[in-house]
Amino acid sequence: MNPAKAALSYTGTIWLLITQVLVMLPFVQYLPLWLMPVLAFTAIWRLRVVKGQSDRPGLPVKIVLMVLGIGGLTLSGLPFPSLDFMVAILLLGFAFKTLEADSQRDAIVVVLLGYFLLAVHFLYSQSILAGLYGVLTLVALTAALIGIHHPMNFMSSRQSTSHALRLSALMLLQCLPLMLLIFMFAPRLQPLFMLPLPSSQAKSGISDSMTPGDIASLSQSDALAFRVTFKNGKPPQNQLYWRGLTLNHFDGRRWKQFIDDYELRQLQQNFAHNYRWQPDNLDIRGPAVEYEAIYERSGQPWLFTLTPATEVYGDVLRGGDYRIMARTELQAPAMLKAVSYPESLRDRTLQPMVRRLALQLPLNTNPRSHSLAQQLRTQSRSEQDYIQRVLQRFRDQSFHYTLRPPMLGSTDTIDAFLFDSQRGFCAHYAGSFVFMMRAAGIPARVVTGYQGGEWNATGQYLSVHQFDAHAWTEVWLAESGWARIDPTTMVAPDRVEQGLEAAMRTEGSFLENQLFTPRKIEWLNRLRQQIDSVQYGWRRFVLGYDRDAQSEFFKNLLGELTIKKVAATLGGLMIALGLLWMLLLGLKPEHRSIAPEQRLYQRFCKRLAKKGLAREPGQTPGDFARLAAAKFPQHAAAILGFNGVYEEVCYGSEANHKPKGLLAQMKQHLQKL
Amino acid sequence: MMSRTADFTQQWIRQRLPQTREVTLNQRRIFIVPSKLALGMLLLIILLFVLAINFQNSLVYAVCFWLMALLVLNILHTYRNLAGITLKVIGLSPCFAGANATLEIELSCPPKQKKYAVHVGWPEHDMIEVNLAQQHSVRTQLAHPTTRRGRFTPPRITIETRYPLRLAVAWSYLMTDASAIIYPTPKARTENSTTNTSSTEHSGGTEIPRGSHDFGGIREYQPDDAPRQLHWGKYAQTGELYSKTFVDYSSPQRWLAWETLPFPGTEARLSHLCSQVLDCHAKQQEYGLSIPGTRIEPAQGEAHKQRCLSALALFGEQA
Repeated sequence: MNPAKAALSYTGTIWLLITQVLVMLPFVQYLPLWLMPVLAFTAIWRLRVVKGQSDRPGLPVKIVLMVLGIGGLTLSGLPFPSLDFMVAILLLGFAFKTLEADSQRDAIVVVLLGYFLLAVHFLYSQSILAGLYGVLTLVALTAALIGIHHPMNFMSSRQSTSHALRLSALMLLQCLPLMLLIFMFAPRLQPLFMLPLPSSQAKSGISDSMTPGDIASLSQSDALAFRVTFKNGKPPQNQLYWRGLTLNHFDGRRWKQFIDDYELRQLQQNFAHNYRWQPDNLDIRGPAVEYEAIYERSGQPWLFTLTPATEVYGDVLRGGDYRIMARTELQAPAMLKAVSYPESLRDRTLQPMVRRLALQLPLNTNPRSHSLAQQLRTQSRSEQDYIQRVLQRFRDQSFHYTLRPPMLGSTDTIDAFLFDSQRGFCAHYAGSFVFMMRAAGIPARVVTGYQGGEWNATGQYLSVHQFDAHAWTEVWLAESGWARIDPTTMVAPDRVEQGLEAAMRTEGSFLENQLFTPRKIEWLNRLRQQIDSVQYGWRRFVLGYDRDAQSEFFKNLLGELTIKKVAATLGGLMIALGLLWMLLLGLKPEHRSIAPEQRLYQRFCKRLAKKGLAREPGQTPGDFARLAAAKFPQHAAAILGFNGVYEEVCYGSEANHKPKGLLAQMKQHLQKL
Repeated sequence: MMSRTADFTQQWIRQRLPQTREVTLNQRRIFIVPSKLALGMLLLIILLFVLAINFQNSLVYAVCFWLMALLVLNILHTYRNLAGITLKVIGLSPCFAGANATLEIELSCPPKQKKYAVHVGWPEHDMIEVNLAQQHSVRTQLAHPTTRRGRFTPPRITIETRYPLRLAVAWSYLMTDASAIIYPTPKARTENSTTNTSSTEHSGGTEIPRGSHDFGGIREYQPDDAPRQLHWGKYAQTGELYSKTFVDYSSPQRWLAWETLPFPGTEARLSHLCSQVLDCHAKQQEYGLSIPGTRIEPAQGEAHKQRCLSALALFGEQA
């Protein structure tokens, strides 16, 4: 009779169903939609089997289900070696296994698979909510493990369910300290091999090219882009230019990084060789800004920093245009620590290739802009003066900053903006300004990223949202290297000083596509900020506890690290935990307290037993000693002496305080035996 | 080599757990090891660890370590579920060889504790699940098959639990010195028994053959028959010698005797006598039993039956 092969009880089946639903539910948002009805269908079928309304599926039905499932997966276009594909296969297997499970062993396989899927879900989301849900599922799965094995038929099903749930929660709570201990101490290794990451998320945020409408549409989203904590206070709002990437190539309509559209790998090659980061071309000036940023999943490799960042902690790539880039697309939140010197001079000498890139213009387009540039350049005393004149023109003429710009046609878009519509968003201003610079022979480029951010006073950090997306420019001058110029400030100074919401107050177009947003109601907004700060704290802890944080944590705790210290701390904590558990479980080690004279007497008996004389259970010590003395006359003195002192200790006048001298005498006699 | 280690293990267990009728399980008596399921769980933990390393995912690490901690903590819970239980052997009831001997046991635990899914019995024969939740003392019976007559001491009783998560098995043994007498299987040899046994029945009671008072019947002359037994009338009719037999009608008594059984084989004879004892007992006759070495005077009643059956069971054994 093997209990593991025992049939699954009714309660066990119900447990299985609960876990199935709990484990599968969170995947709804990530996987192909058709998978969900399939999973629901198997669950309902199983429920009907339990209630006796349906039959268990036969072999042909199982085969058809399997073929349908795998066929569906191939048709749904999930890329083959991807996490999504693996998870979909696992979920299908999970559902089918639940459907046919009829022994306890099958049920256990389902529960173990459930544990695995619960962890896999954290690859998709590591938010607080996902964490809490995970804990809930963990409790349910563990309760299922109890309930499947021990149906507790003498209880009502409600009682046995709550018994299993309570026990499971209690056990998980009790092992929480050990889990945290292992979490703190377990070594964090480097990845062993590359695995495909979740791929189904769409790309969001700043993209690798810019047409005038792009950033305007991004500004309709209040999704979070990243959060930043500053080590020594926040720099002024108008200095917060979170620089992402530079756009050099203009094809008449669209700004791109290079003339070719590169794949990520080619782009990385490019930045590693031709256009690589040259720290010696940097003249560090001004105070340092030290910060730590956590970027949300974007599906893109761009990271946004204050330029130039001199020290960066994290696995990143740096380009010749002072950009910082992740090595892979961000499929999960990523953390970066950096130190920047925003007042530094960049590229005092300009590489010929960079100059060529920064002067490129499409041939024979925008004639009106070209002639305006010639005209202004001849009027100017210097390049500096020319720049001022171009900016002045934005301020003096009736340019408008708007989220609802008119269409500009397909050719001569710069002309159409500068002379006709004169209404535009930051991308229009940045693009046309760079055009004007290049038309006058001044190297310039468009920069995209985010500007500003929302200061969360509760958590003392900055949240940067998609609506903070911004485009500005950099102009190269011989005396100052690359200098940042934001032509938008000429038209809408509020945008940089107070953010997009303030800049759009009169137009009323801030987040106008969202029917309801808590930002527009003050107390809701405050609540939103508070919740956000809790989430950020969670994210910093969860993401932040890596190799570096681990060793730093121990350094703070223990000072200089030595194996001995770590081992001693670990050992101490383990012992403390062991005692805590004993106490919680009511397990007291049994103290078999034996008086020292009794212990000595036991040794005495053992020694005589070895010689061939065992003491009978009822024999008094005196009788036994006389018998022994008679049998071993050569030891008679020791035997009788020992017994005499023993009786003195036990029954003598000083029996209450057991003098040490007598015990010593006993030992002496014993040694002679 | 294997058998020597096995012997050594057995001896070690015997030393550790001496024979007794009652045992309270404590840390000296409880053995505990991870179960097969724990291996599966370990595999899962390793898998999760690899997953966490590759994706550098803190929450996957957390799940992995939580399960690891659960694996450890569960050992204590399983131990606690067994510790403190008192297992007491109440008695072993006798039975006939081939039937099941029933061992009555009592499990109890201190009143504030609860024990679930404790399995007790012999893994090859009969395991019973006991829960000490609502009541703190439970009496139950275990059945152990018997094969041969004689004195039967059941093998050690296993008490084990895998509660709550089945990731560990805690168990202990009770070597009991309780024993029961297993009676021979009652098996009557019908083909010869009526003609050849010396005991036959009569409506008035038990006949004692070769009596001298009452006429019993006529049979062929046998050389040692006394002349006054000869039936002359029959001789006149047939020309052959016939003897008259006489019986004594004593009180309704019956002797079941080993030496009068006409067929060989110790066990067959014991089985036959056993069935006759039961038969007489059922008919409420007075009967006596005579087997080599034992002679039980005729009597009646339950105690007498037990005595006779025990004598049959222990025949040839040193009582």
